[in-house]
Amino acid sequence: MSRLRYFAQRTLMTALLIFLVASALFVFFRLMPGNYTSLLIQQGMSAEQVARLETQWGLNEPLYIQYFNYITNLLTANAGDSFRHGSPVWELVKPRIINSAILVFPAITATYIVGGLIGALIGRYRGGLFEKSSIIGVSVFHSIPDFFLGILLISAFSSTLGIFPTSGMLSTQTSIMIQDDPFWHRFLLKEFWMHYALPFLTIMLYFMQYPALIMRNSVVEVSDQEFLHYHRLKGLPRFTLLRKLMRHASLPVITLYPISLATSISGLVLIEIVFNWPGIGRMLVDSVLARDFPVIQFVFLVAAVWVILGNFLVDLLYGVIDPRVSVGGDGGE
Amino acid sequence: MSDPILEFDGVDIEYETRGGTAVHAVNDASFAIDEHDYFGLVGESGCGKSTIADAVVGGLDENGAVTGGEIRYKGTPIQDYSEKEFNKNIRWTEISFIPQSSMNSLDPVMKLSQQAIEMAKYHTDMSKDEAVERLRELFDVVGLSESRIHDYPHQFSGGMQQRAIIAFALFLQPSLIIADEPTTALDVIMQDQILDHINDLKDDWEISMLMITHDISVVFENCDSMAVMHGGQVAEAGDVVELFDHPRHPYAILLQNAFPDVRYPDRELAIIDGHPPQLREKPDFCTFADRCPWSTQECYDGAPDPRPVAGDEEHLAWCVRADEMEELAADHLRKPEEEHSILEESQ
Amino acid sequence: MSAEPPVLELRGLEKHFDTSTGFVDVIRDRLTGSDPSYVKAVDGVNMKLRENQVQGVIGESGCGKTTLLRTLIGLYEPTGGELLFHGQPTSEFTSDEWKEFRRQVGLVFQDPFNSLDPKFSVRRAVTEPLEIHGMDYELADIEEMLEMVGLTPAEKYLGRFPSQLSGGEKQRVAIARGLITEPDVILADEPASMLDVSTQAEILNLLNRLTDEFGVSMVYISHDLSTVSYICDRINVMYLGRVVENAPTMDLLSEPKHPYTQALIQSIPIPDPHYDRERAVIGGEPGDPINMPAGCRFKNRCPERMEVCDNKPADVTPEGMTDHSVACHLYYDHPLDESSTKRVEERPLTDGGCDRTGTLPHGSSVVPRGESK
Repeated sequence: MSRLRYFAQRTLMTALLIFLVASALFVFFRLMPGNYTSLLIQQGMSAEQVARLETQWGLNEPLYIQYFNYITNLLTANAGDSFRHGSPVWELVKPRIINSAILVFPAITATYIVGGLIGALIGRYRGGLFEKSSIIGVSVFHSIPDFFLGILLISAFSSTLGIFPTSGMLSTQTSIMIQDDPFWHRFLLKEFWMHYALPFLTIMLYFMQYPALIMRNSVVEVSDQEFLHYHRLKGLPRFTLLRKLMRHASLPVITLYPISLATSISGLVLIEIVFNWPGIGRMLVDSVLARDFPVIQFVFLVAAVWVILGNFLVDLLYGVIDPRVSVGGDGGE
Repeated sequence: MSDPILEFDGVDIEYETRGGTAVHAVNDASFAIDEHDYFGLVGESGCGKSTIADAVVGGLDENGAVTGGEIRYKGTPIQDYSEKEFNKNIRWTEISFIPQSSMNSLDPVMKLSQQAIEMAKYHTDMSKDEAVERLRELFDVVGLSESRIHDYPHQFSGGMQQRAIIAFALFLQPSLIIADEPTTALDVIMQDQILDHINDLKDDWEISMLMITHDISVVFENCDSMAVMHGGQVAEAGDVVELFDHPRHPYAILLQNAFPDVRYPDRELAIIDGHPPQLREKPDFCTFADRCPWSTQECYDGAPDPRPVAGDEEHLAWCVRADEMEELAADHLRKPEEEHSILEESQ
Repeated sequence: MSAEPPVLELRGLEKHFDTSTGFVDVIRDRLTGSDPSYVKAVDGVNMKLRENQVQGVIGESGCGKTTLLRTLIGLYEPTGGELLFHGQPTSEFTSDEWKEFRRQVGLVFQDPFNSLDPKFSVRRAVTEPLEIHGMDYELADIEEMLEMVGLTPAEKYLGRFPSQLSGGEKQRVAIARGLITEPDVILADEPASMLDVSTQAEILNLLNRLTDEFGVSMVYISHDLSTVSYICDRINVMYLGRVVENAPTMDLLSEPKHPYTQALIQSIPIPDPHYDRERAVIGGEPGDPINMPAGCRFKNRCPERMEVCDNKPADVTPEGMTDHSVACHLYYDHPLDESSTKRVEERPLTDGGCDRTGTLPHGSSVVPRGESK
């Protein structure tokens, strides 16, 4: 099977998966006890208002029509309107996604780069204080729950030392000041970066264990591989050998990177709460508390798609890096 | 005979283990490989033969070192070469290597052509195209389809991978090729083909060959000279026919008869008791003594010196009782004349 | 022929594996209506193992001998044919009968380094089968068994762990473990191949002696004809899932009939520099078990190939022999006209090998893909 076919296959599977998840969510939410409107009644809406809403939202239609509407709506990026705010869900969620992304992507990327380097060093220079302290260090940070780690950092650097602000992405005054400016203006403000520092650091310390330890094990394992020995016997210079070692050793780490990106969304919820960061994690919690179904449903979908795309990225990466996976010939004896 | 291309002169090789103790993998090894010779080094696991192979190309692990004696290649001592010197003077251009497991030795993320280009880049000033062209020729020589030079190793079967490895070994036209158990991982028919092929190549290209193996049959069939090792020491060395007809070291005698011979399936196999000793210290005795049916106190009084067998300086046995062995081991040495090879009746 | 049924009998035993691996493959097969491709690892094996008999199964990698062994143990269920134990088909076994089968069929594996539980002492390893089958025993029985396999003095070995034993000693423990339940049959998967040659001889001799003393039958699987000849009364030669030749050891070695057997024998190195061995003419490697050609599976490498070899050969006994069967068109008359036994003019590849996809690199004879029904 050629590379092209491999990628095509994976793309197809991904699209299929997203479709299945969206459908599953549809079923899932329909199955939940109570329906959309019972809560509204609880909150004091009159029966006619409810009935009007039901017609408006098509809740009286047969299920398969609802499903059809659902899918077509999604495909046109129409996720309905928020119960709580009345505005379109997509408009509400979009900036949140961006806020989370600007936190998560750089943080996880930095984690993997730094963690990978540490891991490589440990793997190369085994034994001794450096290895021990590094392993203990990353493991300790990972054993502390991420939100608690965040709280610790806040208490150390914000309350006690007063270096960093305690929460939010920007102070309230600043938010109001720049609310008409283009979104990216905030990155120019020092204030933004001060707010950014602690949640970034929390993520980094917390997730450092994965790349560090995996890289370490990988380096140790690959060093023993016969093909490296063979390269050496062929007379390749030391530096070339090191480069090859790193290329092979970083494979597991590279493949874990998109997965970490994808799954970090769960850890993100707590961190965002602790730091009051206006991201998608916090939005999820807020909307669950407020029973804002359209938002909840959509955020679930976003989270699922985030994870699926992360895995898809891994598939693509692996197809590029490791020919054994994508180019035919595997299987057999 | 021509001058030796590779000489081992009283070589000691040690490994340092984590705990600080040393393992004396090779002790006082001496033998010589002549130019264009096909030399077989045979012994069981742990005898030090692979260590010797590695040492020649400087492929010992970080914790291993040649601690005594000299390894001479074309007259020059090379045992103390640095990595750089090995890279520049020895590896691949002069001495190339056929490793035991081709499947594990070929870098899985590199196309075969890329590996050839890499070899050319670091040792010669061949252009990429020239390197690829040469690989094509070599594929033809080893019987692989030329169209497949751009494939990845995993797309080849085991036998084909081994041929590719042979093609690589020939790539820079070395003077000596070391083959470390080149056929152990292969089926018997493929093994035969590969060995046959190696024979032809050796003759066509006028290369000297050092074959490391545990299978004495392969040595007897293909090699010109040989050495038998046990427990880090060379037990016996010499011309293959000489050693076969007149072995004088107890281990060599017993080892020959421990291999099933398909011509005489009913013949009793020789049993060698025990196992080689752990070599925590430099052995000051014959490492075979514990297992030897004919050992005496003298065997423990110092490592044995080589003695010429029947006055032949080329055939040496490291045994204090070498002269007596003809009588002592008469039972084992008797080649059954009356035995009828079962294969003679087949077409 | 004794009236008693053979201890172990295989009748047309088959074990096929479905190769459709992915979701996509399954869907595609359904849609196109094509049959999923199978790996016919074991494709119609007949064998009769009598009491006190040692039968060898030899073949190269991919011939199906490991799958055969696993099917005999009961790890795999046969997809076709029958396995009979003392005349009873295993397909009709109740779970109690299976348990009895397990007691009666002992195993010795290839890798002494991995087949013993590193946490079990020698004593525990050997007594475990007895415990499993609820058999009573005394320490003296265990000690006796250990001494029988050459681990003397037994007391010294009882408390040892595998890490404290050499390869040969481990293998002896494995053999003791296999024999402790006094089985009728031992299935041995190349037990000596991972040992040094000096230890190999001991283990082979041990197995020889034990099969006589204990009266067990043995199926010995290997790729090494030399060791198999040393120890077996009868040899079955397997190639890509089928037994191509079956004969007493001496007959097989002196008069091999099937071209593959001949090639195998010719390929064995002889420990004698004076002997000028005639080398085999065949080339290549066993083909891909997934895309096996129709008819005789050996035809692409066979120097004696004829046109009729596109049909599956029958198992026949060559003229003038008894107790020797071979699956080859050379040895029986074909009712078709002369041309079918005409030699195929194109020389099959003698070199270059066969790659995984089943195509021959120099593009000589084209291999028909898959088995047609």
